[in-house]
Amino acid sequence: MNMAPSEDQHACVIPGGFTVLSLRFSEDDAHAALHQLCVKEHRVRSESNTNRPLDRTLFVLNVPPYCSESVMTDVFGRFGPVQSVELNEKPGACESSDSDASKYFTAKRRQCFRAAYVVFRDPSGVTAAKRHPLNVPLVVSTADGPVKTGIRSECVCVCDDGDEDYDDDDDDDDVVCEEVEQQQEDEEGWVKVTKGSRGVKARPHSETANERTLQKEKKKKERKELLNFYTWQHRNTQKQHIAELRKKFEEDKQRIAVLRAQRKFRPY
Amino acid sequence: MEVSDNSKDEEEKSEKQSKDSKRKAKENVSDDGVLRPVKLSKKELYKAPTVEELNQLKEAETLFHCSILKMQMEELLKEVALSEHRKNLVDTFVQQVTDYLQCVPESEVVEMDDISWLVGVEVPLFLVPPTAKGKFHMEPPASVDLVGSYPLGTCIKPKVFVDLARYPRKRALYLAGLARHLSFAEFVGSLRYSCLHGNRLRPVLLLKPPGKDSSKVTLRIHVIPPPDFLKPSRFHPQKNNIRTEWFTGVAKEQQESSEPPTPHYNSTVLGDHLPLSHLQFLSAISAQCPAFGEGVALFKVWLRQRELDQGAGCFCGFHASMLMAYLLSTHKVGKTMNPYQLLRNALHFLASTDLTENGITLCKNPDSKAPSVPEFHAAFSVVFVDPSGHLNLLADMTAFTYKQIQHEASLSLKFWDDPTVDGFQALLMTPKSILRTYDQVFKLVDMVKLQSSCKKLLLLNELMDRSGNYVLTALPFILSLLQRGLGERIHLLVHSLPQDTEWLVGSAPPKHKDQPPLTIGLLLNLEHAFCVLERGPPADNPKAAEFRQLWGFRSELRRFQDGGITEAVLWSGNSNCQRRFIPMMIITHLLKLHADIPESCITFVGGQLDMVIRVGEKDQTTGEEESLEVVQSYDDLSKKLWQLDGLPLSITAVQGAHQALRYTQVFPPVPVKLDYWFFDKKKGGLGVVPKESKPCPYYITPIKVIVHMEGSGKWPSEPKAIRRVKAAFHICLKELLGKQHNFKCHATPNYVDVWKDGLVFRIQVAYHREPLLLRERLTPEGMLIYRDNAEAQALELETLHKPFLTSTLHGLQQQNGSFGVVCRLAKRWLASQFLLEDIREEAADLLVASLFLHPAPFTPPSSPQVGFLRFLHLLSTFDWKNNPLIVNLNGKLTAAEHTDIKNDFVASRESLPAMFIVTPNDKKVSVWTKEAPSVQMLQRAVMLAAESLRVLETELNSGEQQDMRVVFRPPLEAYDVLIHLSPKQVPLFPKAVDRATYTFNRGTSEGKALVSGGALPVIDYDPVRLYLSELREAFGDLALFFYDPYGGTVIAVLWKPAAFEPKPFKASLMNARRVEVNGDVVTTVPNVEAILQDFRIIGEGLVKSLELRTEKWVV
Repeated sequence: MNMAPSEDQHACVIPGGFTVLSLRFSEDDAHAALHQLCVKEHRVRSESNTNRPLDRTLFVLNVPPYCSESVMTDVFGRFGPVQSVELNEKPGACESSDSDASKYFTAKRRQCFRAAYVVFRDPSGVTAAKRHPLNVPLVVSTADGPVKTGIRSECVCVCDDGDEDYDDDDDDDDVVCEEVEQQQEDEEGWVKVTKGSRGVKARPHSETANERTLQKEKKKKERKELLNFYTWQHRNTQKQHIAELRKKFEEDKQRIAVLRAQRKFRPY
Repeated sequence: MEVSDNSKDEEEKSEKQSKDSKRKAKENVSDDGVLRPVKLSKKELYKAPTVEELNQLKEAETLFHCSILKMQMEELLKEVALSEHRKNLVDTFVQQVTDYLQCVPESEVVEMDDISWLVGVEVPLFLVPPTAKGKFHMEPPASVDLVGSYPLGTCIKPKVFVDLARYPRKRALYLAGLARHLSFAEFVGSLRYSCLHGNRLRPVLLLKPPGKDSSKVTLRIHVIPPPDFLKPSRFHPQKNNIRTEWFTGVAKEQQESSEPPTPHYNSTVLGDHLPLSHLQFLSAISAQCPAFGEGVALFKVWLRQRELDQGAGCFCGFHASMLMAYLLSTHKVGKTMNPYQLLRNALHFLASTDLTENGITLCKNPDSKAPSVPEFHAAFSVVFVDPSGHLNLLADMTAFTYKQIQHEASLSLKFWDDPTVDGFQALLMTPKSILRTYDQVFKLVDMVKLQSSCKKLLLLNELMDRSGNYVLTALPFILSLLQRGLGERIHLLVHSLPQDTEWLVGSAPPKHKDQPPLTIGLLLNLEHAFCVLERGPPADNPKAAEFRQLWGFRSELRRFQDGGITEAVLWSGNSNCQRRFIPMMIITHLLKLHADIPESCITFVGGQLDMVIRVGEKDQTTGEEESLEVVQSYDDLSKKLWQLDGLPLSITAVQGAHQALRYTQVFPPVPVKLDYWFFDKKKGGLGVVPKESKPCPYYITPIKVIVHMEGSGKWPSEPKAIRRVKAAFHICLKELLGKQHNFKCHATPNYVDVWKDGLVFRIQVAYHREPLLLRERLTPEGMLIYRDNAEAQALELETLHKPFLTSTLHGLQQQNGSFGVVCRLAKRWLASQFLLEDIREEAADLLVASLFLHPAPFTPPSSPQVGFLRFLHLLSTFDWKNNPLIVNLNGKLTAAEHTDIKNDFVASRESLPAMFIVTPNDKKVSVWTKEAPSVQMLQRAVMLAAESLRVLETELNSGEQQDMRVVFRPPLEAYDVLIHLSPKQVPLFPKAVDRATYTFNRGTSEGKALVSGGALPVIDYDPVRLYLSELREAFGDLALFFYDPYGGTVIAVLWKPAAFEPKPFKASLMNARRVEVNGDVVTTVPNVEAILQDFRIIGEGLVKSLELRTEKWVV
């Protein structure tokens, strides 16, 4: 790990090995406040993810919500050609994508600050990024590639959603039909009865079933028992009654004490 | 003549300010005042009981409902009783005053007209007419006696001969003389005049000690003649004791026998004669019954909470004692009863006995000259005769006040018998002010106008009887006039009791016209209250003349559909909101017609709040009609869904799951007709999208409807597969609705939107086994277990709890017509104070529902404003820390379940949400308040509610028309950053509390909405809400964001202090922060400048400006 701050190139390297880069939203505003991106080469002891080759991946922290994958590709393109960008809510292992084939059944992504894994085509991109000085900010929205935020981006959103859903109606139909049609009647009126995926019902023991049997047993026992038959039973119920009254009395006493402490007995 | 001095301590009042009351050792109590489960060892629980303990437990169980009530009563009595220290203080003060009074110097005999000897002191009586014959001089008092509830008093005897009619004047002069004498004493702090129960003929002198004790004790000095001074028979209610000639100053040729009787004047004079004998009577009775004092004390607390114990025509502590004495002497209560039983029996007696019809008497063997009970009834409206048989103790009370007492008593008994109500808290601890108790309240502001109404109503004799107090004279007549006019529209008509005024001895007594406004309260009968038509008798009926006389020119002959031709009065009112003013119209009309009271003298309290939930711009409505329209459109949709042909599975239930379908949406959706040129066409040609250059389009609320599909073996058992089947159903519904009913629909995996009647319904298909399947897990041993998870809970909330709540509250609205409007007002307030996101819609609805289901000690509110006041009161006074709020929807919870819920709550308080609301379907979780509010937000809500209630009640009480919107404007001082939004992009801007004069075209046009067809509008598009959710997602751990969802143009930001402390550098904690290097240590702090800039960037086009309020964030 390169710990030495390379002063001569004005790159700001902090203890921990991160280089701090600054990020500006648009070129027009020269005095605007800057976000700080912390970048470091991606290095994990046991990386199983083939999407993040160790030598070519740059790990970026604190990516603002308005930076999408394509924006990141443009921004980091200045250090070398970018192969792919992965944005995660939290740094660490690859977020378990729901492996749901259809994009219509995945949850909407949160618009928050994220961590990015930028994979360059060439390892030199990583080094170039790490040497970039702090006082030359990266720019998100340029004249060539403007980034839309606010009302305009939302208008676009409304527009997009509708279109795609409409176009895709038929696909969904197919998925369902396959599943439902399995057990439809065929031409001759025969229904092919399959076990299907209803293995659940066949499974012999479940938690609720266990409980039910236990309760049945208990009820049976209770029915057989004689209550208030012997004198000691009588005595016990009386004792129990007094104990209950006592307990209630103590509880009430405490309640009153709390109310008194709060001066709740002043009528006005 | 003997004059007695009745020193009375106002126990309860002075106790309030005391600082010295006992602070008992807080055994068993945790410091934070939170209840903990009681733990008793086995040994303690099962040890052999002593006889004493057994008796105690038994008594608690049988006599009271439970032991807690007994203890509560004991605590309350301790709280209102006088401490030893206080008693000493009173005793010394009284001794000083008594000693000083004993040495009143004898004065010269002067003419009565001559008041020059009273230097610096005014006479506490109007000297009308200005001249009177007679002589007057002062003598020292002779004896000191005890009267009143604090048994002390002084008797003094000046030897003066007085003409009877001039007796009150002499009395007043004597009092003035005493005042002058006392003003030289140094142990007297302040000297003020007042009058007994608002009776100007009975002035009293109020003495307070100087310094810090002044608030603790007040001595009231009355001047009364000796018992044998005048013959009681002279004051028979049918005799005259004031000559008309003397009163009016106009000589009349009249026989003495034809003079009108003066019952009230007579009872005033008699009342002055009897305090000593009454005291003797009461002390004799109370000696028989050990709990007498405490029973009366409870009774007095009860009366005081209902504002019945002070003012003219009150039922004061003295009357309470007398009533208790009556019950004892007639054996209606036993001598060994405890205070609680005495109170209950007294209330029962009041509730069941109508003293306006069947008066009672304490007199055992009346002498021959004493008037009979019927004679009393002829002269007074309420009759309760004292032990002497000559005096009616309740002479000043109006029949209406007595009806109010009866109503309160029977209501209290009802609540006490209900084991689920905390009767003690509701009946003895909750004040019932007129404003918070009655549905509609009116104020008569300009009292001087009542003088002319006395003239109009020909009340000279009564005016003379009341010695010129025109307010008290006109009151009963005005009230019975209103009662006749309002008839079955109301359950109860009450009025405030004119209060005793106090004034300094150095100033003249205040005039009658300076009295505070008179308040009249109505308890409405919602079935008839807002009828537009008042149908009278047929024209040929003899009663028609009476009807015409009552209504004057408003009465006209009308022909009805059933063929009848009758007299009728028609009031105007197109919407519920306007019809709520009908009682006011009736009152103004009747008072103007019959009592010469102009409209300007009457203020209607309430109605001012309507404007914040007003919906239509042209028609004045407060949304009831619009809500109804939505529900009707939904019913139609539901019918069509049931009848859909060609669904693979049949529908088992169609349930509304939106607040608009239970009448509680603050601004119910209104059918719209779109202006299509305003929008861009969508590519598919199905719908429209907003144009970039135009303002944000009209906000269209999707109304959520849940459709349950029947269970079938064909449903898959995989959650993912179920979602796909549901999506297929959405597509199927879309196509069928489009084909069979020509509705434009839009299907998505999670719902299908239906564009119908200018409204959008969002239908979601549900499968009843889905939450169960989501919970299924398989253990390694192969056992099927069910574990709760967030996804299943969220689904259950949407498909189970919401529809159930909606249908239940819909039912509540059918029973209580004002439920919806109160809810909407309450939620408007919550929203405007930025609280609606924490106390969510459903929780707020339940809070309001509890006001209707558990109204104790009130009746369910029947007008928006009283409901709103009680909502604020509930929110601000409920003990959220120690109690769950139980909302017994449909009355499903039993008393035993109530106890279980409370015990469970105490046992696991720590893990439960700050605000815990229980319903029959949700006893353990409180689904609507699980996420929010946090303790801090609840605290803030409580504080804001208390303050709003205070401000609102002061403004409403002031009797002037003021801007009530002040409680709907949130305080913005506490926030760090304000993000101002551009109104153009705020779709609900026209609904803001302070409505702007300008509006934007939002793509709607006039005219009736299409039933079906037309391109789909832009649905559920509120840029502010989207912006807010982005802000929360990005900066949620650094700051809190607050917003009024109904047209607010400000987002208030509060930094979280914890996030602003420098933190060591960590890869997982770098979001929106910047690094600071200090040697080898790297810390991070929020990058505030960049964040502020992000506010602008994310809200491009929406944000107008940022306002930095504090510099707190500078790190």
